[in-house]
Amino acid sequence: MTIISAPAGSGKTSLLRAWADRPGQRHRLAVLQVRRDQHDAQDFWLALLDAVRHASGATSGAEPSAATPDFNASTMIDRVLSELADARGDIMLVIDDLHELDSPDALAQLTRLLTNLPPGAHAVLTTRYDLRLGLHQLRLAGELGEIRAADLRFTERETSELLGASGVSLSKDGTALLHQRTEGWAAGLRLAVISLTGHPDPERFVAEFSGTNRAVAEYLVAEMLDRQPGEVQDLLLRTCLLDRVNGELADLLTGRPGSERILLDLEDANAFVVSLDPERTWFRYHHLFGDLLRLELRRTLPEQVPLLHRRAAEWFIEHGEVVAAIRHTQAAGDWPDAARLLADHSFSLTLDGHAQTIRALVRAFPPGADHPELALVRAGSDLVQGRLDEAAAHLAVAETYAETAPPDRRRRLQVAIAALKLSLARRRGHLAGVVEQVKFLNAPVTGPSDEDIALDSDLRAVALMNLGTVEAWSLGLPDAEHHLQEGAILARRIGRPYLEVGCLAQLGFASKIHPFAIAQGRCREAIAAAERHGWGAEPVIAPALVTLAGTMVWTGEFDEAERWLQRTVRALQADIGPDIRLLLHQTTGILQAGRGRHHEALKEFSAAEYLQSQLEGSHALAGQVTGWLLATQARLGMTGEARAALAALADERASAGEIGNARAVICLAEGDPAGALGALRDVLDGTAPVIGYVTVVEAQLLAGLAYRELGDQRAANQAAERALALAEADRLLLPFAITGSRELLEALPRHETAHAALLTDILDVLRGVSPAARYQSAPPETEELSLGELRVLRYLPTNLSRPQIAGELSVSPNTVSTHIRSIYAKLGVRDRSSAVQRARELRLLAGGRTR
Amino acid sequence: MRVHLPGPEHEVMDPAPALYTIRINGHLGAMVLSAFPAMMPQRHGADTVLTGLLDRSALYGVLAEIDALGLDLLEVRQLTPDRKSPEPRDARSP
Repeated sequence: MTIISAPAGSGKTSLLRAWADRPGQRHRLAVLQVRRDQHDAQDFWLALLDAVRHASGATSGAEPSAATPDFNASTMIDRVLSELADARGDIMLVIDDLHELDSPDALAQLTRLLTNLPPGAHAVLTTRYDLRLGLHQLRLAGELGEIRAADLRFTERETSELLGASGVSLSKDGTALLHQRTEGWAAGLRLAVISLTGHPDPERFVAEFSGTNRAVAEYLVAEMLDRQPGEVQDLLLRTCLLDRVNGELADLLTGRPGSERILLDLEDANAFVVSLDPERTWFRYHHLFGDLLRLELRRTLPEQVPLLHRRAAEWFIEHGEVVAAIRHTQAAGDWPDAARLLADHSFSLTLDGHAQTIRALVRAFPPGADHPELALVRAGSDLVQGRLDEAAAHLAVAETYAETAPPDRRRRLQVAIAALKLSLARRRGHLAGVVEQVKFLNAPVTGPSDEDIALDSDLRAVALMNLGTVEAWSLGLPDAEHHLQEGAILARRIGRPYLEVGCLAQLGFASKIHPFAIAQGRCREAIAAAERHGWGAEPVIAPALVTLAGTMVWTGEFDEAERWLQRTVRALQADIGPDIRLLLHQTTGILQAGRGRHHEALKEFSAAEYLQSQLEGSHALAGQVTGWLLATQARLGMTGEARAALAALADERASAGEIGNARAVICLAEGDPAGALGALRDVLDGTAPVIGYVTVVEAQLLAGLAYRELGDQRAANQAAERALALAEADRLLLPFAITGSRELLEALPRHETAHAALLTDILDVLRGVSPAARYQSAPPETEELSLGELRVLRYLPTNLSRPQIAGELSVSPNTVSTHIRSIYAKLGVRDRSSAVQRARELRLLAGGRTR
Repeated sequence: MRVHLPGPEHEVMDPAPALYTIRINGHLGAMVLSAFPAMMPQRHGADTVLTGLLDRSALYGVLAEIDALGLDLLEVRQLTPDRKSPEPRDARSP
């Protein structure tokens, strides 16, 4: 680990370039040039990840990294670290101009990366001033090399060598004078060399330079500019206000053709112009040089400055570089135009992961000036940061403005406001009424130009995702599915993977009313899409993860469900609202209840109920949450608490089928089976509203338990048989476990049931027999696994995908697939979970963790 | 033992603007001086002294500019001709 910390013009970047290009370079270099004024931590990390993947050759086949609006820095560091580990050692991470990184978060995260580099990986950083990186441990361990300004200064001999290499002949005295005057400062020497090259009298130049007290950089830049032909001077001055320039843009700003040639010549002459790409189409000026040129431009051509910014802005907007366009529009002083541009693109920029840049752009507007378009941008920014009250206030301002906006802008503003309103409603759980307010979203959008269509598509896809999500949570399920599917298709068409994954994930949640096979299929499709982009444990995929876990709990695959719930917990490290956390607690609660751990279940249901009380208005699953909480209290003997909570429920909530079931559980706990049957009547005859048929299965079982208490075995058997009949299609298991129906089922004579196979499976689980035991009839002899297969086998119980396993083992994904095929064949199984079960039985996996 | 509490002192961290002189190595020409429109330049021997009324963020802005332009910073000084030295008041009870 090496830090090069020295002021502008000390030769940091030149040193890096020379070192990187030296013959016999044995490191593979991952080079990252930090953009000027880099505010977005995510942008920085994605660029770093891409640089590492490019260097390690891991880019083939994988999707390019895409930004997400809910960026999780911690998982990103893990990804970079694992890429570095996979590259096995000889990667050198090079980060140039780290001082440009204007994000305290990113610096803190970088410290974690640098102090956890895998063995053999190295890093070189350059910065103008010392940064607070917290690397003292590395320094103490002697693992930190530091190169500072004094180390970079040229000696007199090096000065002489530089002159010789540049074809400048200067006397020994002249060389000594030049070295003394520049104090060996690299930028000064390089500037001097440019002026000295081809100078008619080098000795005189040095004598004059030495005889003046002018500051070194200014004197030499002025000298160098003076010696350039007019058109080169003009090009340098007119393009210096760009962070980067290409030939076309330079032609536009100078009004002359041929700029690319000049830029190439300047780079070849080592004249503070560097190309940014291997094709040499984009260039930037050395920062120090560019800053001096900008001062000269403002001094000599002040009236040109806004004009040049305006032209640059037009070029950037035509080429889709929105942030640059907005910055130049602001610099031109065209504030209303800048506000409009920012408002138009704020959704796209947020999707691109530029939330912090948006904030910086908003801050750049002069205080006090009123730009109503900015209210929309501020509302979106507030929402991203979870400041819901501020978001609501800004939305109100935006709405008032939209009413008076010109007709061509009104439509877009209204869609944008609707999308944000839906998002706000969801974050607050205030779902009632909001869907009605945004009905107009169903009408198709037509835009006059391609650019508008693209913009509107981003906006419309966001609006569809938010609308479908709110509908799914307020149980408008068919509408929800329709809107989410439309959103996913649109997102795929316009190349917005984040929105596509978001729509698919919510679609997984919205599929709860379908047979479990469909819901599971949709969840797995969403998760696979997320994994392709490295978002397998990001907030965006959480609805699919938790829904998949839920379906597994319902079918009694408790261990597998637990693994998916653990992944949901990881995905929800960043807070994205109470609704999804509610779902997590609820699903964990039914898992615990299904395992008979009612104390743990009570904790989860209580947490879910608390989150529910934080939401304004009712939502789709409210009845289930409350019903299970009350039933669990009753099962733990807390009938008094359960009764009190029941009495406090409003009438329309108390009439829900799920509450009816809870009332029955309380009655049973109180020794009142007749009361329980009374409570279940409306659920069983279909008059009570229910969330799904699972509620009816549970009601049948509770009725069966009540009949048993009353000594009516025939009625109990009939109720159990009806429950089995309903449960057959999805092979539903949870209601039998949660209601404690083992004895009820055991008493059911086999000849009286048409569902003997399901009954056996359910009883196996209820008796605590692991599902794996069902395979014990399989032939015990197994062909021995090879060492390679055993290594792969150990990863099968994890959630790692095949490419991820390949990464862990440093082998190709093909090798992993071959091993897995062979493992399946040898164990006589057809899928991963059966392979894991079989391997546990055969004790091929250490510590058979069943819980 | 005194307990350090975040007190009202923290709100007076950025006091009213003060007069600063900033000494830079070499003579600055019109190009570089245009970067410091709020400062009055004077030559002192081989150095340039910039004088101006700056609040804290303006001061750091000037210093960042000096750094970016590759100038050789020699001295920063706050002029406090009639500024009372802060009294060692301690309003807290022991």
